[in-house]
Amino acid sequence: MSVPPDIRPSELMTVALARTIRDGEVVAQGVNSVLASLAIMLARETHARTLTWITIAGGINPVLSELPESSASPTWLSGTTAVLSNPEFYRLAMRGGVDRMFLGAAQVDQRGRMNLSLIGEPEHPRIRLSGGGGAAVLAQVVRHIVVWRTQHTPEIFVPEVDFVTAQGNLEAVVTPLGVLRLRDGCLVLTDRFPGNSADEIAARTSFPVLHETPVRVIEPTTDELQILRELDPRERRELEFPRGR
Amino acid sequence: MQAASLGIPFQPVPGLHGTDLPATSGLAKVRDPYSEEDVYVVPSIRPDWAIVHVHEADDQGNARIHGSPGYDLVMTEAAAHVILTTERLLPSKEFAAHPEWTKVPGILVTAVVLAPGGAFPCACPPDYDVDARGIEAYLRAAGSANDLEDYLSRVDP
Repeated sequence: MSVPPDIRPSELMTVALARTIRDGEVVAQGVNSVLASLAIMLARETHARTLTWITIAGGINPVLSELPESSASPTWLSGTTAVLSNPEFYRLAMRGGVDRMFLGAAQVDQRGRMNLSLIGEPEHPRIRLSGGGGAAVLAQVVRHIVVWRTQHTPEIFVPEVDFVTAQGNLEAVVTPLGVLRLRDGCLVLTDRFPGNSADEIAARTSFPVLHETPVRVIEPTTDELQILRELDPRERRELEFPRGR
Repeated sequence: MQAASLGIPFQPVPGLHGTDLPATSGLAKVRDPYSEEDVYVVPSIRPDWAIVHVHEADDQGNARIHGSPGYDLVMTEAAAHVILTTERLLPSKEFAAHPEWTKVPGILVTAVVLAPGGAFPCACPPDYDVDARGIEAYLRAAGSANDLEDYLSRVDP
């Protein structure tokens, strides 16, 4: 089965991210999180109408006509009825008040550990990254952690990360190819998008991802696609992908 | 900084277990004397100075912050001295009319600098958004002292 030509990887990923959200949850996203933000907006318009959204700008349940471009845009405060400081958000999360959070990672390993710190030898890193923010804490106090990464390569999905920045309540990892989840402590492929076979995805992952359970195929519904395109008319969902795709 | 704001030597934090951060950051683990569970403790940071950009201040250092205060308030409590930069200066009687709107009390503040547009090219919600071209111009200039000086004279003549 091939991907219908008009559906983009950004849209498949947004739908997969949105479907991880359950109605009624308290959901948060960090800086530079275009796809996660759009997924939360989509879930709120479809199956999770009573979710509570806390944005990195501090606003609770903003009313947005479209996805803002920057994490710092004043638009994030539109329609919000309360604005939290960062310590207020962290205190809420640390006492167990946040159900779900979306995080990025430079590398993810077979045991679902995340690296946002450096690439190479920890003493002499080849690349020093900007760091995990609060990920080392959040991944253990927020009940469900969902990671997304807009590339799926053997260098990203490795047997062991170069540095463990965060680990804990990982529920799912969403990539342009599909969704990985922990089974018996190891990440395995549970869902794939049309257009890539499970074997092709396994070949782009540096640890074994095929498990005895069958791999489901995720296909967006017409409604999901229409709503997410309406929520992001300027196609900011493409910002996280390499230019000129 | 939360520990510094409380005047205590360290702050216990949940999480961090099984990560490489405690080893590389030198974070100690202690036994919670009540539950007897292990918990990481982060040492207090007490900056000499905090510089905080606000929307409105008076000449006594009372300040209002619209939008999220981010980490600003804990910084003003943790630091030994605080400098405010402000979009607008208001007379103190405006603050007296609504003291409950004051986010930073003047008693914490050493100096106030009137700096309209002071967060540029970053955002100062809800007053103004990020200026992407401004950030690109800054990044181009930041590589050399001369270019940076040119840049600064352009954005703040």
